[in-house]
Amino acid sequence: MTTLKKALRIVAIAGVASVVSTTAIAQSIVSFNGPAGEAYIGRFIKGIKETAALKGYDIKVFENQFNQAEQDQQVQQVLAAGVLPDVFIWWPSDAVAGLGSLRALAKTGVPVLKINQLPNEQDKQYIFGYAGPDDRLRARNAGYMMREAAAAKKAAGGDGFNVLVLSYPHSYGGYGLSINAFKEAIAGSDLNIIGDVDEGFGQANGYKGAAKAIAAHRDEGIHFVYGMDDAILTGGIKALEEAGYKMGDDVVAVGTVCNGDKQLIEEGKQFGTTLQSPLHEGQLAIKMVEEYLKTGELENYINFTPNPAVTATNMETVALRGFDGKLYGIDELCSGAWGG
Amino acid sequence: MTDVTAPTDDLKFVQRIRRDYSPLVIAMVGLFVVIFVAGAVFTDDFLTWFNIKTIIRDAALVGIMAIGLTFVTLSGNFFLLSMKEIAALSIICFATLMGADWNQWGAGEGDPTTSALVMTFSVAFLATMIIATIAGAAQGALIGLGGNPIVVTLGAAGLFFGIGSWWSDNLVVSYRRPHGAEWLGTGSFIGDIPNITVAFIIIAVVAELTLRYTTFGRQVYLVGANRAAGRATGHENFGMAIKCCIIASVCAAFVAVAFSGQVSSAHVNYFSSEFGSSGDMTIMVIAIVMVGGNSIMGGYGSTLRTSLGAIFISTVDNMMVLNGFNSGARVLAVGLMIVFSIIVFALVRRGSRAVE
Repeated sequence: MTTLKKALRIVAIAGVASVVSTTAIAQSIVSFNGPAGEAYIGRFIKGIKETAALKGYDIKVFENQFNQAEQDQQVQQVLAAGVLPDVFIWWPSDAVAGLGSLRALAKTGVPVLKINQLPNEQDKQYIFGYAGPDDRLRARNAGYMMREAAAAKKAAGGDGFNVLVLSYPHSYGGYGLSINAFKEAIAGSDLNIIGDVDEGFGQANGYKGAAKAIAAHRDEGIHFVYGMDDAILTGGIKALEEAGYKMGDDVVAVGTVCNGDKQLIEEGKQFGTTLQSPLHEGQLAIKMVEEYLKTGELENYINFTPNPAVTATNMETVALRGFDGKLYGIDELCSGAWGG
Repeated sequence: MTDVTAPTDDLKFVQRIRRDYSPLVIAMVGLFVVIFVAGAVFTDDFLTWFNIKTIIRDAALVGIMAIGLTFVTLSGNFFLLSMKEIAALSIICFATLMGADWNQWGAGEGDPTTSALVMTFSVAFLATMIIATIAGAAQGALIGLGGNPIVVTLGAAGLFFGIGSWWSDNLVVSYRRPHGAEWLGTGSFIGDIPNITVAFIIIAVVAELTLRYTTFGRQVYLVGANRAAGRATGHENFGMAIKCCIIASVCAAFVAVAFSGQVSSAHVNYFSSEFGSSGDMTIMVIAIVMVGGNSIMGGYGSTLRTSLGAIFISTVDNMMVLNGFNSGARVLAVGLMIVFSIIVFALVRRGSRAVE
């Protein structure tokens, strides 16, 4: 009997030790981000979860409904629980309003990686690096694509180079970066911005904004349209078509982010877009976490996801190797009505 | 011999205004009319056929939803706070069925035949309307049984959104063109007037005629104005709540179908982030009902007022875009318009009760 008790005790101790050692080995990540119900963020969450599992990290994701107050509360709950992870991933709903929460996270001594929104002067001191998209790069690439389309039009004897911009809300942080980069890219060309409308995000607002802008600028002539993302541009293209414009012939449309409608590019109604993959962004975040945990620092403080141009000619061949080693085609990388 | 004492029609009109409305109301409305007319005259490209079409088209989707919601409000059942979630569930249902294989209705390789397009659309449309009807009836029954409309419809909102999210796995559900919903989303049968604009006008007219000239319409006002009187005359709120909630739900589903037809896709968040200055379809729709001067307590108002409220908000927004205002200023203006309308209608109704 005594022998049996001893054996059971040994088994129990071994079991506890095994659990403790496993817990000690598996490093953990807590990510604060927007809701999975939003298509882009849903793909991002898929990226961080799958890659974290692949790399052997435990990950907990706290989603907020684009609400900084809700995200602040989640931060307080995690801190109050007293069990801190090895790394925080921080995608603020509002980078300025969320500065207090970021400071609270940093004060715990746990390293914080900021994602999606570029660091600013206030929050740089609290993070060890940035991983995410480059608003400027994608806008610049869109500008270069439009220059290329304008040059081709001119070479073919065409005229009319007025550009209508369908923007993010002007109060949104990405607007300034995008419009400035786009303007720099088209500077010196024949292209001339005649209107900039900021109805809001998404296809419905893109439609409504474009419809009003057409009323205002149709007499001057609208020859090119730049959409700050494809969802907005998709709505804009519908409005232009309803107004009688033949897309691809009368008006050349260029977007970014590839979160709109792939079929528009296939049909020649949209000249091109730039790739921005939420899946890749999630994978990049985990890669940066892994690099930091191994080396104690990042080779590069700022780490952008690639934003290559996508047009009808390269659409079927564009692919990116993910940080999980797999090769992803464009339908998996893009969001919106691309398959994602 | 000329009767010099008889006032002209114009004088009659002015006298009636002065008799029926307080100087404050006349001053407020007069000032607004002056500003509005000046804005319309001095805004380039505002008074053009193209822009007027744009304004009404802009108002169409939220307007149709608001017309449906007006029935609920007039019947004294407050608001359906689940309007955008009903639309979200409906758009997922519709797009999922629109993405079904065309060939099952007889098309061969390549583009689908017209009959295949019609069949796909018909099945998807019918299924969507059935789901919307069930959603409306369930909420109406709970409200009719005495449930608080706010609590019932907030709960229902979560339920519908959750089903839509789960069904679509939070992804965009897309289907390829050509498809059978293009005629509704982007087509135009009457000249260059979009079909959705025509649908808005038809729905507005039918709804107004229904309220004014049918027994059902009068019952809506009766139950809304005085529930006890309605009950005494055999018109219980239970049946009325179900009918009105079904009308609102079906209108929301129709908007979902039209919008999906326009963008050839669906996502549960389309109605949470893409409509109106506030970015929230339900809030926008409620704002339109209020701007139309409908009584939140029921029994007073009309769908015509709601339709004009939708066009009014769209007009102010349009004028500001043409004058180069960005989104922040426009959100402010629309908010002010809503507050202004509520104050004016409250003053008018207080004045009319005093006259009574």
